[in-house]
Amino acid sequence: MTDETPLIEVDNLRVRFHTPTRIVEAVRGLSFKLGREKLAIVGESGSGKSMTGRAILDLVPWPGEVLADRLAFRGEDLRTMDRTRRRALRGKSISMVMQDPKFSLNPVMSVGKQISEAFRLHHRLTGAEARDRTLAMLEAVQIREPGRVYDLYPHEVSGGMGQRIMIAMMLVGEPDVLIADEPTSALDVTVQAQVLQIMERLVSERGMGLILISHDLPLVSAFCDRVIVMYAGRAMETLDAKALGKGRHPYTKGLIECLPDLDYPKERLAVLNRDPAWIGP
Amino acid sequence: MSALPAIEVRNLNVHFGTAHVLRDVSFSVAAGESFGLVGESGSGKSTVLRALSGLNPNWSGTVRFNGRDHVTRPARDFYRQVQMVFQDPFGSLHPRLTVDACLAEPLAIHGIGDPDRRIEQALADVGLDHGFRFRYPNQLSGGQRQRVAIARALILEPSILLLDEPTSALDVSIQAEVLNLLQDLKNRRDLTMVLVSHNLAVVGHMCSRVAVMNGGVIVEEADIDTLRRQGGRHPYTQELLAASRHVALAQPMDQPAMV
Repeated sequence: MTDETPLIEVDNLRVRFHTPTRIVEAVRGLSFKLGREKLAIVGESGSGKSMTGRAILDLVPWPGEVLADRLAFRGEDLRTMDRTRRRALRGKSISMVMQDPKFSLNPVMSVGKQISEAFRLHHRLTGAEARDRTLAMLEAVQIREPGRVYDLYPHEVSGGMGQRIMIAMMLVGEPDVLIADEPTSALDVTVQAQVLQIMERLVSERGMGLILISHDLPLVSAFCDRVIVMYAGRAMETLDAKALGKGRHPYTKGLIECLPDLDYPKERLAVLNRDPAWIGP
Repeated sequence: MSALPAIEVRNLNVHFGTAHVLRDVSFSVAAGESFGLVGESGSGKSTVLRALSGLNPNWSGTVRFNGRDHVTRPARDFYRQVQMVFQDPFGSLHPRLTVDACLAEPLAIHGIGDPDRRIEQALADVGLDHGFRFRYPNQLSGGQRQRVAIARALILEPSILLLDEPTSALDVSIQAEVLNLLQDLKNRRDLTMVLVSHNLAVVGHMCSRVAVMNGGVIVEEADIDTLRRQGGRHPYTQELLAASRHVALAQPMDQPAMV
């Protein structure tokens, strides 16, 4: 396998939910390739951006159905892969940081134990080794006093710390691809910057591919390389992140215009007009 | 400032057990003004609002609303003057009350007549048609729920509105709608608003003056225009400004900075 093989290839991805009354289409024909880069998927709630991440990991909840012309990880077809192999990839090669640390960590297990459990699972370490590696990992995500934090329970840590703990846990398997679903939307701007720095370092040092799912356009523009703008399960536009402000599609423009900006005060914020024609046939 | 300020806070202190979470917070808000409080989580900005709204009686210091002293257990008529909108529209509406029941309750508590017309009017004011009146919160989107929460606060026709991160749980497109709505209502009713947010851009859009909080202390109070032009004097304000500018999108060329 050459280095040019994309980490993730997605062609014509569709995610559907069969409900008693109708079929809800969450993703309608999305295609993209991910290399060793920072790719962002932006859009409003319900635009299908989280479902795209979940489809790659096979985590779409029942009664969801995932269809694609191609869905591959480093050239390996994910659609035909057996469940054991797919499970082995999940967490080890591709992992996902969920939005809310409050709901994604086990509330009755100390955070250190949860991370070392991941170490024991992925690397078959003994308890003492796992503890040492966990402490090192906590330090890597810039948690001061890792020894003290190890024994804390999720309700005892702040939102920013919880988010860093989740990132630490997801990095245990040393994944090639990290899917981060709104990893910073619950955080303060100053903490947000720290969490993004950690991810930035991991991408540049370890050559990881990152898919950042977010609704925060300014953040994505400052942090990522490429941006896919999604609406109603479709890609409206794929842009260079630095050129996000010059997006041509009316939806991209609308999303930018409705943001308040400290340095460019406006009398009234623009309201987004959604055109049903964008969804297409 | 010759006119009586709508809100005057002097040396507000709050202790939770041994923790001293607000230290000598002082500020005043003129009638019809929008005042912003910014800072990170744990800086005490929500605690200020909870003390002002009567939700937290453990405070000491002097607080005056329209010249009247605020007490730790306010009487009923206080709540006709001061109302609050909370951050999380998913948590602040009773899940088993319809929109109608939720809006009727403050009217019943205060013995205000003609609830039918008032509820219709309150919903119309926040841009919801009467089809929403008998729905439950789980049948509403986040933006619609926040509109109901605003309608509930405004149905008593208060003169002061306290907003605790009213849009941080919403999408940017919905945020724009809610911020526009708040500004329209403020202009129409001449409301005095205190807006708590961690987003400096939102505060800058809505407010004329802002206080920056850190560690339970107001580190700086400034006009938004001054802040925009000269930056902050306090290092923490500068850090906050830098963080919010770092992620600001470059605006199109045809839109010159209004400085």
